[in-house]
Amino acid sequence: MGILIDRHSRIVIQGITGREASMVTRHTLAYGTRIVAGVTPGKGGQEVHGVPVYDTLKAACREHQPDTSLIYVPPAFVYDAVAEAVANGIKLILIPTENVPQKDAVKFLNLARRAGVRVIGPNSVGMINPGERVKLGAIGGDNVERCFVPGPVGVISRSGGMTAETSWMIKRAGYGVSTSVSIGGDALIGSTIKDLLALFEADPQTRAVVVFSEPGTSQEEEAAAFIQERGFTKPLIAYIAGRFTEDMPEGTVFGHAAALISGNYGRPSIKAARLREAGAHVLDNFDDLIPTLKQILG
Amino acid sequence: MGRLLEHHSKQLFKEMGIAVPSYEVATSEDEAQEAARRIGKPVVIKALVPVGKRGKAGAIKFAHTPQEAALRAGELLGITVRHFPVEKVLVEEKLDVAQEWYLSITYDKNKQLPVIIASTRGGVDVEELSRSYPAEMVIHQVDPFEGLPGFRAREIWADLGVGGKLLGAAGALLSKLYATFDRYDAYLLEVNPLVVTTGGELVAAAAVMSVDDSAMYRQPRLADMVQLGSERAWRPLTELEKKMVEVNESDPYRGTARYTEMPGGDIGFMCGGGGGSLLCFDTLVSLGGRPANYSEVGGNPPEAKVYGLTKGILSKPGVKGLFVAHNITNNTQVDVLARGIIRALKDLNIDPVTFPVVVREAGVNDAVARELFTAAGVEYYGDEVTLTEACARMVARMKEVYGEGGRP
Repeated sequence: MGILIDRHSRIVIQGITGREASMVTRHTLAYGTRIVAGVTPGKGGQEVHGVPVYDTLKAACREHQPDTSLIYVPPAFVYDAVAEAVANGIKLILIPTENVPQKDAVKFLNLARRAGVRVIGPNSVGMINPGERVKLGAIGGDNVERCFVPGPVGVISRSGGMTAETSWMIKRAGYGVSTSVSIGGDALIGSTIKDLLALFEADPQTRAVVVFSEPGTSQEEEAAAFIQERGFTKPLIAYIAGRFTEDMPEGTVFGHAAALISGNYGRPSIKAARLREAGAHVLDNFDDLIPTLKQILG
Repeated sequence: MGRLLEHHSKQLFKEMGIAVPSYEVATSEDEAQEAARRIGKPVVIKALVPVGKRGKAGAIKFAHTPQEAALRAGELLGITVRHFPVEKVLVEEKLDVAQEWYLSITYDKNKQLPVIIASTRGGVDVEELSRSYPAEMVIHQVDPFEGLPGFRAREIWADLGVGGKLLGAAGALLSKLYATFDRYDAYLLEVNPLVVTTGGELVAAAAVMSVDDSAMYRQPRLADMVQLGSERAWRPLTELEKKMVEVNESDPYRGTARYTEMPGGDIGFMCGGGGGSLLCFDTLVSLGGRPANYSEVGGNPPEAKVYGLTKGILSKPGVKGLFVAHNITNNTQVDVLARGIIRALKDLNIDPVTFPVVVREAGVNDAVARELFTAAGVEYYGDEVTLTEACARMVARMKEVYGEGGRP
């Protein structure tokens, strides 16, 4: 089980012939994940590590019926790639691209939402379901098992790098992950912490969820409200990095683009308080993740 | 997010056909006096600094005569407004005000839509507006595919009770303001007050604009108006920060190396990525460590970028140690990081025995990184320790070498 992706996922990579996309393709295939096709306009007929490349997503869909797309294109082309995916019936889109203009993000997020298409990212390092040996994106690199082994814990991280480190800490505690998701560090993203908690709630493999958070946005406050409404009833462990930023003058961005504090909006201390009120385990020290998991999972 | 100075915003407004008061920029009392004489009316003098709420900060003054304009400009030039020194002032025609309205356009991050806030009660800030006069505000979410056609703009003002000849003009003005927001990839556009003059004209008396730095690649018009990297500082960039922006921009498409100077501190902080840096900074501070800067390094930067950043971090006066840490990397080659860091240490003749250097780098090619760091005499850890344990080791090393108070 796990959420969003499994061995039946039919993955296509838009922009597959790029340097990074090609490397990710190699690592992903080596891990055992199937990639049914790739798309790069003008490079139809080529192959990338054995994956057939098409000029258009439409052609790739005709031959391979993908349902999941990984969009590896530069910021200026993300809007068009998402629109192409939505137009061709893709159901799940993951966007690793960083520095996507906000105006474009607003448009493609609304376009996808109206079409009922789920978006992860932008600025996501990927997601992985190790029980099914399926990964989407750079996540895990060429040494996936170092950090990601199957188990009962869901991971939601606003930081790409900390998706790996958090999953590795879970392994160090003696467990593994059902699905780890890097949701993206931008202010405007397709799926929030709360959205994924709803999916983890329904996943029988997941017994607890760990969230890695940062300053900015109101995602943690929304997640706390969701727990209080009984939308999520499993144990939640949260770490909120960036406490030091509360002592800095307002309006300064540390970390990801979304990590902006304004008044009480975005403050780690308020996020921690809301989550604690909702019954979540909020860690002061990241290393406490290990004993806390052992206490919860036994 | 880059904030434009007011004369830049007003220049863009003018180009879009939006009425603004006559204005000139002055850098001295004499220039302010001359500007006021040319304008030939009472003037407003505003500090040109990229911060909000300048009125409350005492950075906006009024003058009836050119002589008075010189005096008021003299009071502003050279002071510091919210950490920004005032080097220029805007000398602007004082309007004959009949009414003051409020208008802003930004993104509603929760609804993920552009949002327009309009009110026929201006001159107060939006927080007070929503607290004290919620019934006199219209909040309109824009359909990003529809934009703001004329009828929507007129509906907003009509809902606020605007009618007659003013309605058409107000609608046309709002459409132009939205077009400006859209065309320049703005993140925030605020006109407060939007003045209705005694002659019945609508004039954007004050203009605040922030633009999306991710969209600068398609905004050549804004290139000279926005300081790159300025969204990461609460004051003008320091010389060292400007140098580090150059290091980063020298190879803009490969990896990120961001640097923010912190007040005081003695630990050079060379960490990444976004979340890992936040975690390490918090952890060092909670253990009694004093980082001298904040940094984020990630996305597989080339050796030259790592080298440049490390040298920059170590060049800040008072830095007596170096902490290097990342989350376990997905794709960043830590052997490349190792080469850049070791080259910087060698160039600066730093001996890791007397100058604490603690490294926690695990991920792609970490076996090579271990060899390189170990051969250079650096205390190296891979994935045998956690980030928190590495932070503790750094703070302990500083105490070993310099004693509890930080001095040997």
